[in-house]
Formats: sequence, structure tokens, C-alpha cells
Amino acid sequence: MANFDFKETFLNPIFKGNPISVLVLGICSSLAVTVQLKGAFVMGLSVIIVTGLSSLVCSLLRNTIPNRIRIIVQLVVVAMMVILVDQVLKAYAYSVSKTLSVYIGLIITNCIVMGRIEAFALGNKPLASLVDGLGNGVGYAMILIIIAFFRELLGSGTLFGIQVIPQAVYDFGYMNNGLMILPPMALVLVGCIIWVQRSIQKDLQEK
Amino acid sequence: MNTNSNTYTVIYSTILVVVVAAVLAFAAMFLKPTQDANVKKDTIGQILTAATVDGEDILGTYRQEIESAILVDIDGNKVGELDIESCEVYDNSALKKQIAAEQKALPVYIFKNGVTVVPCYGAGLWGPIWGYVGLEKDLKTIKAVRFGHKGETPGLGAKIADEPSFAEAFKGQQVGSGSIRFEVAKPANRQTEKNGVDAISGATITSQALGKTLDQWFGFYSNYLTKNGESVNTVEE
Repeated sequence: MANFDFKETFLNPIFKGNPISVLVLGICSSLAVTVQLKGAFVMGLSVIIVTGLSSLVCSLLRNTIPNRIRIIVQLVVVAMMVILVDQVLKAYAYSVSKTLSVYIGLIITNCIVMGRIEAFALGNKPLASLVDGLGNGVGYAMILIIIAFFRELLGSGTLFGIQVIPQAVYDFGYMNNGLMILPPMALVLVGCIIWVQRSIQKDLQEK
Repeated sequence: MNTNSNTYTVIYSTILVVVVAAVLAFAAMFLKPTQDANVKKDTIGQILTAATVDGEDILGTYRQEIESAILVDIDGNKVGELDIESCEVYDNSALKKQIAAEQKALPVYIFKNGVTVVPCYGAGLWGPIWGYVGLEKDLKTIKAVRFGHKGETPGLGAKIADEPSFAEAFKGQQVGSGSIRFEVAKPANRQTEKNGVDAISGATITSQALGKTLDQWFGFYSNYLTKNGESVNTVEE
């Protein structure tokens, strides 16, 4: 693998093989933490760090891991990364860590992380695995931010907590859409994203 | 090397676990002071909300706006003082200890705007719930409240902390002096006419637990509240 295509490895999970919109992994947290952009942003960042670093570590260990306990080893590595991220957030971004509450801890069970380690990191060199992990994290974060953008804008009239819909519009009778705050609307938005993506990339459509 | 042998597997997993544990222990120790400072700041922020005091710089506002922070025993006598300069407050674990303590030393935060804030702490449905109640000068009328919880059900029990209309309902309510000091239940199930607010639908257990917690803690404070509240009343009249 002398001329490994890093660009392709990185970009593929962002568009063509996006973990949420194509593989439909990690849906649970994408519904739960996308009420506000800030939470989605930090969650996305945390997942990027966890997928990147655990893919890297597992790839470094890949030739030493006993095959029979490989899933357990992967879990231990992922869990360690997640706890570290959680601890750092509690220390340096306390209010965000309070809003995200259990969902940071639940990154451990996010299928994207384990999926990429099992499918990619165990068979590829460390650098490639790091790039693949980061790419998948970015793909996940991107969808999260798109959903959060619409949910926060239409549900609360704010972006990153700053009022963007002017008061004058409310005076004309405009109202925030309360449904946007609730998880079901996030699922509808995920559906819309998948629809848009499949209209653009025709090769994703099933016959 | 045969990575599939039993010996290798056992040794490998042992080393892995020890290394991971060491990393996590180190991280936890290293980050503990910052995390504790955050928790304290958060606690003070909740106290300030209950006291209806606003401010960007939480610790600075607290130092500026607090009149005195004292400790009282069950008879309502002052038994100590909390240091204001270092923003000493009772956190949740300190409050928890007071519930069973024989010699109680309960914190009372008195603010310059006349609001007295008392805490409460108890068991919710899934984990602990707590709150801060700001009382008017008569030490009977509730001015503002701020509740918190560890893990109540989002959308149901969690509303005690994040539903503004629930906190709003406490405003102007009276703390009773009889056997029932405060209730959180629907009007038909309330045993007192006043001294209560409506429960949250779908969150009966959390609501009841909150009512019980408030009732218990107002009980702890009842002597202090009657003694000091009345004296203010007579002055005003």
C-alpha cells in the first residue's frame, strides 16, 4: 500500500459512504443531541476524536490482538477514549457536558466507532486508519450540524444561542415550531437528508 | 508468536486493562480540581437563580450580592458561618450528609436584595434531585426556585429542572407551618389548600419525590424560618 489514497479514504465517509445517511449508523445520538448547534458541534467533535484515536490505537495493536478477544479489546480502547473525552469536557466545557449528559458516554455504543475499527482499522496501517476514523467522524458531525442548524433555527429561532429571526417577524405572527425541538422531527430531517443525497447520487438508489 | 494461545490472551488482557486503568486514573486525578471548581460554580449559579440575582461572573456576583451565609441547627440557632470570600457553599454530597446527621448544620444564604435561599436534596425516580428555594423577607412566600436532577426521564421528570412554567408555578406559594409544609400534586389530591403546586403529568414519582423532599427540608428549617420570619413581619407592620 505504498500509494494509499488518503484523500479518498477521508472523503468517502463524508459523502458517498456517510455513516448516518448511507450506512444509517449512529441515529440514536443524532436525534438526541441536535436540538441546539452548540451541543451538536461538541458531540460531533467528540465523535471525531474518539473514532480517529481509537482507530489509530487499534490499528497499532492490530497484529498483537488475540483474535478471540478482539471485540473486547476494541471496546476497552473505545471506552477509554470516551471516558477521557467525557472527563475533559467536564473540566473545560461543563455547561455543554451537562446538556449532552449521558450521550457522551453513549459514544461507546455508537456503531460507527466499533464498525470502523472492525471493518477497517484491524486490516490497515495506523495512518490510514486514523484518516478513515477521522473521515467517519467528520461525516457524522456534518450531518449532526445540518440537522441541528434546521432544528435550532426553526424550533428556537436561534443559532448557537444567538437570536437570528428578528422580533419583527414574530410580531407579524410567526411562531417557533415546537415540533422541531422534539426527537421525531430530527428523524424526519434525517430522512430528508437521505432523500436529497440519493437524488444527487443516483448510484445509491436501490433498483 | 502464537497470539491465539491461552497464556498470551490472559497476559495480553491483563496488561491492557492495567494500562487503560492507569491512564484513566491519571486523567481523573489531573482533571479533578478543575471539575470540582465547575461543580461549585454550577451550584452557586443555581443559588443565584433562586435568589433572583443575575450576573455574568458567577463567583464575583455571589461575593458582591450575598449578605451572609450561615449554618443553622434544627432549632433554628446559628451554629456557624460559611466563608464568603472563598465562596464556600454546601454541595450535594454535603447536603446529603445533613439529612441523616444528628447535629445538623444547615446552610442558609441571605442575599442583600432580601431573598433568603435554602437548599433541599432527596431521592427522585432514577437518582438524586435537589433544589434551591428563594424566600421573601417573611420567610414564607416563595420568590423563585431552581431545581436540578441527576438523571430523571428527559421530557417527563426532567421538566422539574428545564420547564420554565413549572418553576414559575412556585412563585408566590406559601410554605406551610402545619404537618404538611409543601405538596407537589394535582389540586384534588392535595391535603392542604395552599402550600402546593401542580405535579407534572407523566412524572408522578418525580413530582411526589420533589414534594416530599421540599416538605422534609422545610421541616428542617421550620424553626429558623418561623423565628426569623416573624421578627421581620413585626418590624414591617
